[in-house]
Amino acid sequence: MHHEGTAKMATPPETSIAGRYTVLPAQPMPEAGGGLPCFAAKDSRSGDTGLIAIQVRRDAPARAQPLQLLTQPIDGLLTPLAHGPAPGPRGEAGYFVICPAPPGPPLTGRLRPWPEAALISLALRPIALVLEKLASHNVTHRAIRLNNVFEGRRGQPLVLGAAWAAPPALHQPALFDPPYSAMCHPAGRGDGRIADDVYALGVLLLALALGRVPLTGLDEAAILRRKLELGSHAALVGDERLPAMVSDLLRGMLAEDPEHRPTPTLLLDPAVARSRRVAARPPRRAQRALPVGEIAVWDARTLAYALGTDADQGIGALRSGTAVQWLRRSLGDVQLATRVDELVHHRLADTPSEELRADLMMLMGAVAAIDPLAPLCWHGVALWPDGLGPLLLAASGDPALAGKLQDMIATEAAANWGSLRPERCDVPLLRMEARQNRAYLATPGLAGGQARLTYLLNPVLPCASPLVADRLVMRLSDVPAAIEAAVAANPKAVPMDAQLAAFIAARSDSRTEAEANALTSNAQNPVNLPELRLLAELQVRYHPKPLPALAASIAGSAAPMIAAWMNRPRRRELTGQLKTLAAAGQLLPMLALLEDPPGRSADAAGARLAAAEVTQIDAELAAIAASADERRATATRLAQEIAAGAGLLALAVMLVVAVLG
Amino acid sequence: MPAVARPPRRHSLAWLQGLGCGAVVALVPAMALLLGVLLLPGLLAVLYDRQPGRPVARTVLMCGTAASIAPVLALWGAGTTIDACVGLLGDLRVTGTAWSAAAVGWILAELAPVVALVVLEAITAARTARLREARDKLAAEWGFEEEP
Repeated sequence: MHHEGTAKMATPPETSIAGRYTVLPAQPMPEAGGGLPCFAAKDSRSGDTGLIAIQVRRDAPARAQPLQLLTQPIDGLLTPLAHGPAPGPRGEAGYFVICPAPPGPPLTGRLRPWPEAALISLALRPIALVLEKLASHNVTHRAIRLNNVFEGRRGQPLVLGAAWAAPPALHQPALFDPPYSAMCHPAGRGDGRIADDVYALGVLLLALALGRVPLTGLDEAAILRRKLELGSHAALVGDERLPAMVSDLLRGMLAEDPEHRPTPTLLLDPAVARSRRVAARPPRRAQRALPVGEIAVWDARTLAYALGTDADQGIGALRSGTAVQWLRRSLGDVQLATRVDELVHHRLADTPSEELRADLMMLMGAVAAIDPLAPLCWHGVALWPDGLGPLLLAASGDPALAGKLQDMIATEAAANWGSLRPERCDVPLLRMEARQNRAYLATPGLAGGQARLTYLLNPVLPCASPLVADRLVMRLSDVPAAIEAAVAANPKAVPMDAQLAAFIAARSDSRTEAEANALTSNAQNPVNLPELRLLAELQVRYHPKPLPALAASIAGSAAPMIAAWMNRPRRRELTGQLKTLAAAGQLLPMLALLEDPPGRSADAAGARLAAAEVTQIDAELAAIAASADERRATATRLAQEIAAGAGLLALAVMLVVAVLG
Repeated sequence: MPAVARPPRRHSLAWLQGLGCGAVVALVPAMALLLGVLLLPGLLAVLYDRQPGRPVARTVLMCGTAASIAPVLALWGAGTTIDACVGLLGDLRVTGTAWSAAAVGWILAELAPVVALVVLEAITAARTARLREARDKLAAEWGFEEEP
């Protein structure tokens, strides 16, 4: 089977994915999805029924990169075959990732101690091979855990489940995640690196070797604290007796620093991999604990964790000097204490306009200095920069978290964080992304802000507009039909809102993006010329069929656009013509009618001329009103001259009569 | 101190008019008497008309003078004697005609401004109406504000 890419969604919604895969919602397969809702599926073209469809949650989008890059099936992995919308179990619009069905149930609940040979040949090597292939595609798995690793018949290699229907490591328990990932917000863990999969594979090997889950009984926070305080290997393996080969391998695979873990290629030859020495010193423990919030800190990494996850307490501890004092005196790490002290002094010597941001920047720098492996910590939120997209989506229902993230983006904190640990990240790339994110967040208008950035950073996220909530609008080509259906169902619906605008702007090319950036609609004027221009372009490019309901809706609310014309008789003409054109359902002629640059310029020129005439008339009327006295004087003067003239005429006549007579 | 230019001095001709009138009274007293009686309304109008240029008095005098031409010629023909003058003045048609002409002149001088004002206002009103009509049409066509 080959990868089919994203399926087209036409009107009405399609019932099959990529035109061939049918989801069978009546046949749930709860154990096959690695914790996500999963159903049986079949290939209607080949008749293959050995498929599953994993449902994607609306608030946790699928991973675009693996879905795009994994175009060939990989043995030992539930490789994605296709993905797209299809009706869900309750008839709702759902989004599914189609994969081959696993060969058997997951390891959860079937744990038994595995012998060393089986561990190497059936677990380590097959999974390392899969990871090697994933690494060659520059893809990570990030979902290696007991409920997502499947075992067929005894003696068959283990199979890795799907990790494509949710953000990376979203459902990964702290046990299977390195501390620097486990401490992050679940949605903000990012793709990570293949070394993180090696770590999870190490935990899996440990569980299989022991025949039970290590650290059972501890909650997530306690597991994380234990890993930070003791180091992952010591925390997980402890004093357990393991086969020598496995023990040596785990020492490397569970190394704190991902650079120290063996690569998947190296793991294919366990004998070589075990011989690789890892310089892992146990964390230095302080003589006395430093309380930071609710955490009693005994070591440097836990201090970084406490500072990073409790911003108020962390800032207090830094500004008061207790953290530096503890590092110097109790922990005895003078060098680290001096570095952190410099950061704090630099901050205290500065008098920035925004105190809190400066404090948070100091805190972020201190965390990076104390634990170079730690993620970006901003205002109590820990994340990896490549996990920003899913985290922004998670924050859409959490204003406090959204505010913190917006603040982080606005200050380009990720770029600063990268420059604090340049040896561990691509600083120019981080800086460029931080700048882009900031620019998108600051984009004014309907299509800017957090929604725009969320769609940009989550390429497989459906449009969250309430207008199209009953459909799954994944691509620009889905938009016209979805709006048409929504407006047809509710003629009073506004055909453009902020979510739709942001979605269109994020998914569009540069031409359409420019149109989306120009949107100006608001509650009073829901559809203006820019909105009509954008909708018309979408129709022309993606949906040439008529959109009569949308056209009628636009014609009905076109008053603001028609009001842009000054000439009243022309307005009446336009209204009538618009209704006629709306009946055909084509938006472009309506746009041409309303835009009409020559007509608009003639209209403007006529308006200017008329205004000049009116001004002249007003001036003349005012002059007439002001000249009443002058008229009276003129009339009097004129009349007197006439009377005098009449008298003179009479005199002349009499003289002539006298002379002649 | 800068020199201030004095306005040119205006010389009154009243003394010249008085001298002329005195000469007429001395040389032809009958003629002076006749003119004095016939032009009495005009002379009164000169006294009472305070408007610049005395327009009413001027009209009254003109009309009175026009009606006095014939009696003056008659007196001249009769030798400009006091008897002839009294005879003429005793004729009510002569005096009545002269004074009636003066009255006509006065009425003309008083009514003409009123008539002229009425005519001028009518012309202005017609023009104002035309302008308002044009403005209302433009306002309706282009959506301008109504005239305040």
